[in-house]
Amino acid sequence: MKNWWKILGVILLLYSFTVGMLIPLKPGVYSASPFTLEAGKKGEVTIYGYNTNYTKVKTPIRVWLTQDDANALAAESIKVVSDNQLIATFSMPTYYPGNSEATSLSLWVDSDADGAATLPDAISVTDNHPAKDVVDNVWTQQPVDNLSYTGKMTFPYRAMLGETVRNTYYHVPFWFAMMLILLSSMIFSWRYLQTLDIRHDHTAVALTQVGVLYGILGLITGSIWARYTWGDWWNFDIKQNMSAIAMLIYLAFFVLRSSFDDEEKKARISNVYNIFAFSTLIPLLFVIPRLYDSLHPGNGGNPGFGGDDLDSTMRMVLYPAVFGWLFLGLWMAQLLKRMAALRDKLYFEE
Amino acid sequence: MTLLTEVQTLIRKEFLVEWRQKYALGGILLYVVSTVFIVYFSFSGIDAKAWNTLFWIIMLFASVNAVTKSFAQENSQRELYYYSLARPAAILLAKMIYNMLLLLLISGLTYIAFSILAIDPVKNSSQFFLALLLGSIGFSIAFTFISAIAGKAANSSTLMAILSFPAVIPILMTLLKISANSLGLMTDTGIWKDIGILLAIDLIMLTLTFILFPFLWRD
Repeated sequence: MKNWWKILGVILLLYSFTVGMLIPLKPGVYSASPFTLEAGKKGEVTIYGYNTNYTKVKTPIRVWLTQDDANALAAESIKVVSDNQLIATFSMPTYYPGNSEATSLSLWVDSDADGAATLPDAISVTDNHPAKDVVDNVWTQQPVDNLSYTGKMTFPYRAMLGETVRNTYYHVPFWFAMMLILLSSMIFSWRYLQTLDIRHDHTAVALTQVGVLYGILGLITGSIWARYTWGDWWNFDIKQNMSAIAMLIYLAFFVLRSSFDDEEKKARISNVYNIFAFSTLIPLLFVIPRLYDSLHPGNGGNPGFGGDDLDSTMRMVLYPAVFGWLFLGLWMAQLLKRMAALRDKLYFEE
Repeated sequence: MTLLTEVQTLIRKEFLVEWRQKYALGGILLYVVSTVFIVYFSFSGIDAKAWNTLFWIIMLFASVNAVTKSFAQENSQRELYYYSLARPAAILLAKMIYNMLLLLLISGLTYIAFSILAIDPVKNSSQFFLALLLGSIGFSIAFTFISAIAGKAANSSTLMAILSFPAVIPILMTLLKISANSLGLMTDTGIWKDIGILLAIDLIMLTLTFILFPFLWRD
């Protein structure tokens, strides 16, 4: 089987499309209101769930407000309104661990139908007085423990991302595949300069075309994602800007090629430029973004890509998607290369 | 002849050529001064932040203008003559060193003109001059090599702009950061890391241009 990788690529892509779209998100907490509660009073919090089944539980739902791993406050009473809505009543203590004026609390919901879910920094408490001597510390009496686990196959739920977490299977593979394709394009450029065999030039150009296509697709999918999560199509995020510039560098490659008439000269000089372009791509995409703050995960104090955000279910789809897009890209490049070779042949036969 | 003496002779030749066509050097220097004037008149007041950005933008455009001609000015017969006399590496190195000196001159002049006309916000001058030096080296390496590429094509001045501006952005961004630090606009404890990054980018570009140049020059 000579073309096994093409079939494999298509299978991997179909797999990533279907599985990436079909697996539901883990039930999570979408939002909670009100945002502020007053210390020392009763606080009623309405909790909105996503993909949740609050009416289908066997044991009562438990809800906590937590300040950190050690300090948690359990809800006094919980009223189930619907599958996606709960009303939890807390009697807010006057004492809050830590010394800050305003305390930010995270919300935990645990139900046996959906498993445990959390909404970070859901509630802010005003008028809290960090007391010096506490007789009865309510924060350690009912810790968050015995969390339920449903064992269902789900993608992680993040209130900020929602369903767009599935964009991970498009946005990330485009950039991975683009890097690999542009790297191989550079290798073929080098081989052309070594051998002056025009076939290597065709391959290098075809790979660059596909690489630029993937880069543009990566920018577009990133832009759609940015619209949803950061609020705007273009946020002048350092990685957005640098990848746009990287695309300019590679678009200049095609302008450079079109400005030569002599085929041999065109091939030689544009392949020299291609190697140079790849060497500027590395600092653009991997060094400069580290010098500046970015909205991307893993930059500017944001949690890194991986850890909780990329669990094993997501990896199961992401890595096949990377190879799927890579193989599809190589296939496209092969077709483009053949077209270029045929065009050359026709040109010389005329 | 060793590489070093070849480079020395070629640099002397570059200076001689420059001296004989005084209009080229004079043109660049006037370009800098008039740009600074235009910027000064267009902005009613320049604060340190605008100063930093404008300074490097003027530097960028003046450098491109100064370096573009380095390969484009040679006609192909004369080029062939050089390559029969000296190693390609020596020719490239000589042009890079000459351009670096030219860019240092331009940056010094821009700095003087800009601080007389506008303000002189530099707080840490040794760091600022280090940025100027590293910037001149980086711009010289990148622009000299790209002018060698663009010089081969017919529409070399357009190509020079579209090939070189995106390519020097990593250098420019790092320079802006170091220079902002030397102006006291920001305090970065890891500034030596940035300088190291700039040096690394310069070094990678330098190595690569020497690997690639032998494929470029012969026609």
